[in-house]
Amino acid sequence: MSDNDFAVRLQGVTKRFGKHTAVDGFDFEVPRGVICGLLGPNGSGKTTSIRMIMGILHPDEGSVSLFGSDPDVTRRTKVGYLPEERGVYKKMKCLELIMFLGEIRGVKRAEGKRRGGVWLERLGLSEWADKKVEDLSKGMQQKIQFIGTVIHEPELLILDEPFSGLDPINQDVLEEIVRDFHSKGTTILFSTHLMDQAERLCERVCLISNAKKVLDADLKDLKAAERKGVVAVEFEGPDAWTHGPEVDHVEEVEGGLHLVLRDGADHQPILERAVSSGARILSFDLVEPRLHEIFVRHAGAGAVGDSGIPVGANLDGSDQSYARTTGGA
Amino acid sequence: MWGNVWAVIRREYLQRVRSKWFIAATVGGPLFMAGLIIVPAYFAVQSEESARDIAIVDGTGVLYERLAPSLEEGGWDVREERWRADVVTELRALANEGELGGFVMLDELTLETGEAIFYTSDRPSTLRQVTMRSGIARSALEYQLEQQGVDAESMLSGGELWIEMLGGEGSDMEDPQFAVAYIGSFFLYMVILLYAVAVMRATLEEKTNRIVEVIISSMKPWHLMLGKIIGVGAVSMTQMTIWLTAGILMFATGLPMLIAARPELANLSELREFLPGLGLLALFVGYFVFGFFMYSGLYAAVGAMCNSDEEAQQAQFPLIMLLVVPIVMVANVIENPMTPLATGLSLFPLFSPILMWARVSGGGVPAWQIGLSFVLMTFGVLAIAWLAGRIYKVGILMAGKRPTLPELWRWVREA
Repeated sequence: MSDNDFAVRLQGVTKRFGKHTAVDGFDFEVPRGVICGLLGPNGSGKTTSIRMIMGILHPDEGSVSLFGSDPDVTRRTKVGYLPEERGVYKKMKCLELIMFLGEIRGVKRAEGKRRGGVWLERLGLSEWADKKVEDLSKGMQQKIQFIGTVIHEPELLILDEPFSGLDPINQDVLEEIVRDFHSKGTTILFSTHLMDQAERLCERVCLISNAKKVLDADLKDLKAAERKGVVAVEFEGPDAWTHGPEVDHVEEVEGGLHLVLRDGADHQPILERAVSSGARILSFDLVEPRLHEIFVRHAGAGAVGDSGIPVGANLDGSDQSYARTTGGA
Repeated sequence: MWGNVWAVIRREYLQRVRSKWFIAATVGGPLFMAGLIIVPAYFAVQSEESARDIAIVDGTGVLYERLAPSLEEGGWDVREERWRADVVTELRALANEGELGGFVMLDELTLETGEAIFYTSDRPSTLRQVTMRSGIARSALEYQLEQQGVDAESMLSGGELWIEMLGGEGSDMEDPQFAVAYIGSFFLYMVILLYAVAVMRATLEEKTNRIVEVIISSMKPWHLMLGKIIGVGAVSMTQMTIWLTAGILMFATGLPMLIAARPELANLSELREFLPGLGLLALFVGYFVFGFFMYSGLYAAVGAMCNSDEEAQQAQFPLIMLLVVPIVMVANVIENPMTPLATGLSLFPLFSPILMWARVSGGGVPAWQIGLSFVLMTFGVLAIAWLAGRIYKVGILMAGKRPTLPELWRWVREA
């Protein structure tokens, strides 16, 4: 692929703040038209990377390109950027603010007013159009700012932690809007530390930890490559069939067993053995690795901090590392 | 490219002009000033309306013609009553019926001591008492002096001292010009500081709430800074235009109306001499605009390099000093406008708005010096735009501690 096929491309980018290296030799691409998640724990360098893409910071080493060129004002104007630290003119009226944010990116006031009205309607804020931003709740302010981010119909959306601070209902609304933009061909890059969200939305993920890239891949490919043969079974009756040449070992879990297969082993013979053994199978599921688990595995292996705790361990606060994919049997 | 600068100007201007503070200060200011003058005058006129017709009983036969004009100027309608036996009883009755505000008795003693009796049912205000008392005493004195063959009018008005300059130039300022120079200088200092600080606060607000990151993603920092400064500048021009118009209206229509309603305030008409001419007004606006551009550029840079109001308070100290120096010097410069020191200081671009104004409003400054001051200020504006623009560009996106001077210099070089 040529440079122009990428909405964003970072090559060997390093950024230091004094003695602290915030981003270290980062190579990263966002192909046009995809939803890409930039994942990592707090302080791993997500925001610094994004701010370099937006030309707010300049890399000490390496190069950043936006739509195949330097990230100058003309190209940055084609980006809708929602910074992590949310900022609005609190004294302005909501619609005025949205129109202003459109105007500085070349959207005529009348057009900005029309689009702003549509967006306010869609996000259920129509009645607030002429209210001052400071009269709105934090969550509502964030929605106003989001509208300001997309009012000029950007080619690329860069959203830094867009979901934080929103309640679950509004997180869903935002997720749907992001999908909408994606279906219209907009490239989307968002950072998050919420693995679930990323797993649902992203086509591509880039995991960073301790200023370094851990991995960067298509989510489907990644999951296929990372799939360790694990079968979750629930059954009644005899259990001798659970042992066999394919099975490395068996783990007891709540409600059933996890059969961990040997490398490259097929699960089909186990199912056949189970049926013929007379056991009553309640469920037989192939377990997909969760993004969280993949991250912990990679970041933990390569980036164990001085404390010995894997950096990814506190990602979303849940202990779950496996989940079932339904419909296995 | 200029579309977004225009958007910034427009936003800055409309947000400010629509704010309650602006409306209160702009409309309220002149109204308050006018109110301070007009309301008390109105009530005073109302309360003394009835007591304006008075009679003068002149027992001396020489005082009435001298006294009447000064009392009429003081707001009374006077008529003369001949001295006769029952005049006091008659006039007292008229006064009691409300036909007459009162009457003054003058006699031989008045000619010697200036004493007189004023019969009235309403106690006159202090101002009126003074007007009447000094009128009577002056009339008596004039009469006595004229008897001696003295030019009473000239003597009583305090004589006259003519100044003949023996070569060289000096201050030939008259009182009104002094006042214009002083008031104008302080006003310039006030408005330049007021609006430059407004630019700083706007910059700081954008920086601290991070909206600047979004704005800078679609426009050059320099354009944002320019938009801010022009926007605030437009607000200042609007406010001053309203103030000046209101002021001129007050002098042009309000003052004559006031004097018509209250003739004893006729002295106020001298205030008109304090009104600067059109040329001087244009110079005033010129010095303000250049001063504002220079200082708002510097203040924008200070706003960009700080992270909080407290930091900005400290960091603006050197700029305040730049404004205070000319204010400290202003008295000296007005007194001695042609010394090399005054000329030199007033040509320094950052001091010109205040000090050159102070000299110019007194008159007598050669035109080339005025021209030179504007040329130098133009260079000042350009130099500050270059310097401040660079500091702004780096600072506005920089978090962390305030830069030291060497760091600032690095910003300027590297930006």
